[in-house]
Amino acid sequence: MSNEVVVRVNNVTKRFGERVIFESVSLDVKKSEVVAIVGPSGAGKSTFIRCINHLHAFDGGSIEVLGHVLVGGTQPTRAELQQLNSKVGMVFQTFNLFPHLTVLDNIILAPMQVKKIARQDATDQAMNLLKMVGLQQKAQSFPKRLSGGEQQRVAICRALAMEPELMLFDEPTSMLDPELVGEVLEFIQRLAGGGMTMLLVTHEMMFAKDVADTVVIMADGGIAEKGPARQVLEAPRTERARSFLRRVLSPMAHDDRDLVANGGDET
Amino acid sequence: MFHIVALYTGVLLKGALKDVVLTVVSSILALILGALGAIGRIYGGPIVGGAIYWYVEIIRGLPAILQLFILYFGLSQFGIDLNPLSAAVIWLVAYGTGYAVEIFRAGIVDVAEGQHEAAKALGLSRFTTLRKVIIPQAFVSMMPNLTSFLVLQLKNTTMLYLIGYADIMYQARLGADATEQPGPLYLMVAVEYLVISAAIARIGSRVERRIAAYR
Ligand SMILES: Nc1ncnc2c1ncn2[C@@H]1O[C@H](COP(=O)(O)OP(=O)(O)O)[C@@H](O)[C@H]1O
Ligand SMILES: [Mg+2]
Repeated sequence: MSNEVVVRVNNVTKRFGERVIFESVSLDVKKSEVVAIVGPSGAGKSTFIRCINHLHAFDGGSIEVLGHVLVGGTQPTRAELQQLNSKVGMVFQTFNLFPHLTVLDNIILAPMQVKKIARQDATDQAMNLLKMVGLQQKAQSFPKRLSGGEQQRVAICRALAMEPELMLFDEPTSMLDPELVGEVLEFIQRLAGGGMTMLLVTHEMMFAKDVADTVVIMADGGIAEKGPARQVLEAPRTERARSFLRRVLSPMAHDDRDLVANGGDET
Repeated sequence: MFHIVALYTGVLLKGALKDVVLTVVSSILALILGALGAIGRIYGGPIVGGAIYWYVEIIRGLPAILQLFILYFGLSQFGIDLNPLSAAVIWLVAYGTGYAVEIFRAGIVDVAEGQHEAAKALGLSRFTTLRKVIIPQAFVSMMPNLTSFLVLQLKNTTMLYLIGYADIMYQARLGADATEQPGPLYLMVAVEYLVISAAIARIGSRVERRIAAYR
């Protein structure tokens, strides 16, 4: 992790209509830092990372992403957003692959359309990415023919094909059958190891502890606690953080999705 | 009766051919305009979107025959004399566009929000998103409606005899007057329309299966 700040979230407030989702949230993310965002459902985690690539507009404060400045309550130009978005990759809970395109066409669409890369070069690059996750033989398949874990790995490849400087993950494994979670987490961990800067909303506490540098707990309209991963998860300082962690980690509220211990050694 | 069939088959087929050509040409134009109209309706803001909304309402709200008469007889009072062929094409395109806008609009809004988000997150422009992501998927959910649209356009050609356009209906009408045997003549017309409709439905379901292969 270097000292260069890639994302600077400054006092950001987000409302849907009258309803405040979170207020005065600040967070710095450094180059190659892995930030895991955890918290109860409905806390605004998805909304928060969607503000960073401006899938959602926000109401107050500012967000600086890779040199682009987004200011709450103002609408950036379309050209500026496109530029920003071509440098920030996003992976969704529901994969959101383009169902009418083959795996290969999903991956080469943006490089060809946005970066004007020649089809052959884009295809070579896509095949290399697919090889990385062992899916090269699925290049001509349609997404519906793949398992959830395969779809999500393709979705990550699609984002990586734009050679992003920052990756956003919104619960990338929570729609997956438990036995498919490992293959996706393993890929994400490899990216983290390769120095990719990432913000990751997740319920996988063990994964957060192993892979993230920083853990942010969102609850009750803001950040309840943030700090080095182990410290936040093992010795939280605030009561809100403690009560959330008690709930997800206690054996009584058992849900094995939350407890999957995976450091990438499962696949 | 059989000599009526023999006598008129050729004429009626010629009329039917005209209807088919007219249906195909007007439908292609209406679908192009309809796609643009739907995009304008959704993304065009209050003025463009509002104008298209009202256009659709008027086309769908007024009786078809009234629209045709206004166009052909009404305008000629103001010195705009259209020949039957141009009036027929203009009306079919204008009418078809009204319906096509709605078909496209429904298809476009049917595409999941996640598709827009994924496209935006990749940095695709709005135009590229429409062209490469939204419209192709909209087409699939639209296919059944497109088939009924073509049949509707075909059926609308029956009205064109009222402005003197010499299609199958026109020929049957002349024949009925001349021979006083409307029964077999109109039956022949019915058969021809059914055959053409069935062909459209058949082609439609083929295309549907083909483009929906990914589902
Ligand atoms: N597009 C939207 N319009 C209105 N409310 C929304 C929208 N998206 C999310 N919300 C609300 O914002 C709150 C936070 O949602 P979300 O960010 O999805 O939470 P999380 O990802 O932490 O589960 C929820 O109460 C949700 O109902
Ligand atoms: Mg969420």
